[in-house]
Amino acid sequence: MITTTERLRYAFYPGCVSRGACRELSAATTLITAELGIELVELTEATCCGAGTFKEDSELLQDTLNARTIALAEARGLPLMTQCSTCQGVLGRVNEKLRASDEAYRSRINRLLAEGGHHYGGTVEVRHLLWILVQDYGLDRLASRVRRPLTGLRCASFYGCYLLRGQTTGRVDDPVQPTSLERLFATLGAEPVDYEGRTKCCGFPLSSYDTKTAFAMAGRRLAEATAAEADCLVTPCPLCHLNLDARQPEVERALGRRFGLPVLHMSQLVGLALGIAPSRLGLSQHIVSTRPVLAKLGL
Amino acid sequence: MEITLRIRRQMGRDPASYKSYTLDLEAGATVLDALNRIKWEQDGTLAFRKNCRNAICGSCAVRINGRAALACATRASDAVAGRSEIVVTPLGNLPVLKDLVVDMADFWQNLERVEPYVSTAARRVPEKEFLQTPEERRRLEQSGNCILCGACYSECNSREVNPAFVGPHALAKAWRVLADNRDDHSAERRARYNGTDFAWGCTRCFNCNEVCPMGVEPLDQIQKLRHELVVDPALPETTAVRHRRVFVSQVRTSGWLDETSFALRVLARTPGGLAGLAPLGLRMLLKGKIPFRHRPLASQAEVTRLIDAIQNDDHHH
Repeated sequence: MITTTERLRYAFYPGCVSRGACRELSAATTLITAELGIELVELTEATCCGAGTFKEDSELLQDTLNARTIALAEARGLPLMTQCSTCQGVLGRVNEKLRASDEAYRSRINRLLAEGGHHYGGTVEVRHLLWILVQDYGLDRLASRVRRPLTGLRCASFYGCYLLRGQTTGRVDDPVQPTSLERLFATLGAEPVDYEGRTKCCGFPLSSYDTKTAFAMAGRRLAEATAAEADCLVTPCPLCHLNLDARQPEVERALGRRFGLPVLHMSQLVGLALGIAPSRLGLSQHIVSTRPVLAKLGL
Repeated sequence: MEITLRIRRQMGRDPASYKSYTLDLEAGATVLDALNRIKWEQDGTLAFRKNCRNAICGSCAVRINGRAALACATRASDAVAGRSEIVVTPLGNLPVLKDLVVDMADFWQNLERVEPYVSTAARRVPEKEFLQTPEERRRLEQSGNCILCGACYSECNSREVNPAFVGPHALAKAWRVLADNRDDHSAERRARYNGTDFAWGCTRCFNCNEVCPMGVEPLDQIQKLRHELVVDPALPETTAVRHRRVFVSQVRTSGWLDETSFALRVLARTPGGLAGLAPLGLRMLLKGKIPFRHRPLASQAEVTRLIDAIQNDDHHH
């Protein structure tokens, strides 16, 4: 725990999805970090992390491109902040692998990076915004910034596999019984909902080539959260968001059952509690209407 | 130390119930020791599997506090730390026969589907024994450590919704035999594994890596297996393989993913792919979720050179 009153600064890795189909996530993250006084230096020259699939083409490709991204943060002397469970798991895992790897492999990667003027030294941490809020900024401090408590809103967490299990070191949560999102919800005045699927997979990785399985998986999660009487799912992963929100109408058709369950990005939920206007948080840019959530909050 | 175990009890398909047992355990006692003591001293009707009590046979895998593990390799004092009791339930994804004993028929039949044996021709005994270099043997080390306990299968999120998926244990074994230099069925194996019931059915939830008591890391073996499929030019290009190829080619030319063009390129040659995509595309468009244009990174030229250099380096290794 490094909770501090000092100004927090991070090298910011937005990730592809938050610059593409989930731009509302980047908008919300930018707003809440500005509101909290967390300074972000965006790494505009960073590549895609590969979302875990680069390794299937070439392990060297996955390690080198992500070492380059970490090196970009190192060059600025800043820890690297992610806002996506998948980016976090991939970058965090490469970081822990290279820190533990033999000198020969690191040299091989650094020789490749030298051409572009980069050097990976393993000196910075890769941290998800959720971990930064819970540990670096601190929930007590966050509580003092809440202007619009989310009283009565029943939030079901959706952590994302890579956030809980992608790394084997530097973990913030127990992968079987995580608590950080639930503690965050309580800090914002919302009510955490316990349900079986909160630590499971949304099915996104299979969505383009085994759609049936991907939809069955998303459908289970939506059904479990609905049975637990959640008002919404809240996720720190835009890939989970894509499968659970953007594809929810198709999941409903595949299962022959209507859910209409809103899925919020974690940054949007924090933004609502900080008193930021819903329209600025991109809550109208969802496929499943977020109006029931806003109605519950009297907005 | 006095410990309470709350155990899920069930006979066949009858409704399940929980029963709690409190007992005084010696320091260092395992959950298996506790189950044995309960059966011997308190309730002879409790059913569970056990054999070697030494993390070799893989018989005693159960869920301990919701996580699949070997009862013999889990200390009761660790399992109860920070809790009032230890909750013991049967493995998931397999039907219960009685209490903690599950029917493992599917688990074994799915293993059989990957042909988990070094091929017959290669097993014909030559004049001398088969020779393997230490390096050739090392490739098999991690996947060869599997004791077939079923922990990974219990927690597999793909298996939970796709009964046709062979499971992480079978795919780790598939890699084990494919990577064996004595096996002479590699091409047939790659063709067989190149589908969504096999290598491409895994959703990368990491649960198998998380629970494996032997450090097999089945997901890592699955990803090595997938690599063999991606680089084999003789295989038909499945949507999953095209997904990987288009992904790398896009990052090579623009540094990051252009989701719209990616989806179009991946699904263009999949029957019904584009038609299936149309309603999604329309919904995304109406909500302003499709970016107006995709700009390559400013450092794109450097990224392209780097990826070319990586591919060249890979080639020389």
